[in-house]
Amino acid sequence: MEAIFQIIVSGLTLGAMYALGSVGLALTYGTMRMFNMAHGVFMAIGAYGAFFAADVLGLPILLALLGGIVLGGVVGALLHLLVVRFMLDTKDFEINILVATAGVGILLQDLLLKLFGAYPFRQPVQIEGTVELGGVVIPVQSLAILFVGFTLISAIAWGLTRTSFGLSIRATAMNRDAARLMGVNATATYLQVLIIAGMLAGAAGVMISSISTLSPDMGTNPAIRAFVICVVAGLGSVGGAGITALALGLIEAAVQYYIGARFGLPLMLALVVIVLVRRPAGLFGREEVVRS
Amino acid sequence: MTDTNKTTTMPTRRNFLRTAALGGAGSAAMLASLNSAARAQSSEPIVIGAPLPITGAVAADGIEFQRGLEMATAEINELGGILGRPLELVVEDTASGGDDLISSAGQRLVDRSNASVLISGYNLGSNTALPEIAADASLIYMHADTVVRHNELIREDPARYWGSFQYDPAEIYYGIGYLDYIKNLVESGQFTPSNNKIAVITGPIAYSINIANAIRENAAEYGFEVSLYESVQAPISEWGPTLAKLREDPPGFIAVTHFFPQDQAQFMLQFMNNPTPSLIYMQYGASLAAFRDIAGDASEGVLYATVIGALQDEIGLGFSEKYLAAFGDNASVNSGGQTYSALHAYAIAAALAGGAGAAYEEEQNRLIADRLRTLIFRSPMGTMRMDPETQSAFCYPSQTNDPSLGMPHIFSQIQNKNENGYIIAPTPYDVAAFKTPSWMG
Repeated sequence: MEAIFQIIVSGLTLGAMYALGSVGLALTYGTMRMFNMAHGVFMAIGAYGAFFAADVLGLPILLALLGGIVLGGVVGALLHLLVVRFMLDTKDFEINILVATAGVGILLQDLLLKLFGAYPFRQPVQIEGTVELGGVVIPVQSLAILFVGFTLISAIAWGLTRTSFGLSIRATAMNRDAARLMGVNATATYLQVLIIAGMLAGAAGVMISSISTLSPDMGTNPAIRAFVICVVAGLGSVGGAGITALALGLIEAAVQYYIGARFGLPLMLALVVIVLVRRPAGLFGREEVVRS
Repeated sequence: MTDTNKTTTMPTRRNFLRTAALGGAGSAAMLASLNSAARAQSSEPIVIGAPLPITGAVAADGIEFQRGLEMATAEINELGGILGRPLELVVEDTASGGDDLISSAGQRLVDRSNASVLISGYNLGSNTALPEIAADASLIYMHADTVVRHNELIREDPARYWGSFQYDPAEIYYGIGYLDYIKNLVESGQFTPSNNKIAVITGPIAYSINIANAIRENAAEYGFEVSLYESVQAPISEWGPTLAKLREDPPGFIAVTHFFPQDQAQFMLQFMNNPTPSLIYMQYGASLAAFRDIAGDASEGVLYATVIGALQDEIGLGFSEKYLAAFGDNASVNSGGQTYSALHAYAIAAALAGGAGAAYEEEQNRLIADRLRTLIFRSPMGTMRMDPETQSAFCYPSQTNDPSLGMPHIFSQIQNKNENGYIIAPTPYDVAAFKTPSWMG
């Protein structure tokens, strides 16, 4: 029983981190048909931002966490202002932006390397201590990751479905030209989407680094998982990405316990293949869910 | 492997350390003497090519490898370089990657930087990429990959790989050495385990797997039982499912042979949330400052071993002091000392051979290789003496019971998170006694 509870805790912790990483990616693709290959580096930037705020500036961890999130948003805004907006109306945008963001990712990662080096720093933005629940000792940081993940994703879901801002995002995602005719500023909407995606990536980076370490390439593996989750959920499905992330986190933890720790990712990828064979548009995707 | 120089009497600690200190000073004096007797062959710098993992998963080591080479380069240049020619260090990043990245880094050093020698700590991959490049370019290549694959490669084709040297022993001595150490710990009454079970946790890299397999295959012979054999992916941060297995059947011993320091640190942080009465051994990674930085209090009590770690004697401490003064308190002498020692050994061998050779200068580089094969070099990490059959350093005490003739397989325990672990075995290098970890007390 204790083992099952431990698997659930580990699975939800993994799932919450995956969800934070993948929801921003899904939002960007769903709205703009843009696969942001620099998403993993956005995570690293958020993590280093929080580290800098806490370790160098000496800010309290809550402010440092906010600093990391805001920095992720700023980088998202800069990506839009300096790169994306010039490419939006180009032919083959989906392919071109893939290559462009991959280049931006390499550039930013090298920048982090120059600024901080490759030494694996410990993330100071974390809560020490444990609590005991049902005979299982749970690190408080795992609960913090769950809380942050749940809070941010709920806020995004609420914003998308209950606000005029969310309405403009959904409208632009469905049909950009029609949205423009209805008075929606599509360019501003895209900017806002990249800011939100950057903030989510920044939060994911802080959370991931709190149970691993900081390194300029720390976002690579989480970004691969985020891409996998987005594909399984159905490209562009924000809610689906969140649910799929939690499910895959739980499955991975269970596989690690019952079959073996090394089989977690390989079986997750095998599951992806099976899902895509059975449902090419993903579990929550439709054949055409984004703007035409 | 055979050891023709194996002796039967153990030296006294005091006499041995005194002789060793003289030997270390003698090495620098020898190079200075050779330099002063020689006329400068040319003013062209000798390029030391360093293909190192300075980014990626094992960057904590790679950064130190670079620092060790920088320090050795500066020291050798102060002594007059190699027969009057100064050294110039050129580093290429292998990014903790596989053979593709390692090969291209090595090739760039040969083709673009005109390296006269390739020196690394360790790289990942199959461990054959750089020996191939060195063989094609007729260059000397010195590394501390710590793999038996190197020995096999040399045995399979010594005519091709004459220039590749592993300046520490292969990993095959770790598994047996660990079993032998914990058996002695129990039999000598220093430690009473809760049971004779060992949980072995390994990673995806051949080095870790070979060590884990050696423990599994030989445990029964030493009176132990392997109750769990778990392979993990790398990097790994969430250890929950693995810890759940350990907590279901708590073993007396846990051996983590997956060696990434950040992953080991996360294991300890999560283990300490609800520890089992298990003595924890961590392969190599815990010897780095990054492990103590990340794990903090949870690092105290952990045992680790390395076949190439800085000793805590006169030579080793002298080096450590200089190294930490140059690079700061969170620098790792255990990894920096590796490349530092290798470059010093190369410099002496090249000076004795009449100078450094360039790429494709096979005749000169073969002379240097001959010197390296017969050199007995006392470094801060112990004595570097090559087994001519495998071109790997001899291991003390597994291959020789004379500590002046082999690189020691040292066991250390972290007893203070702010300091490097104290060496607790083998004699005569031990400086502290084993302490039962706090989570077991």
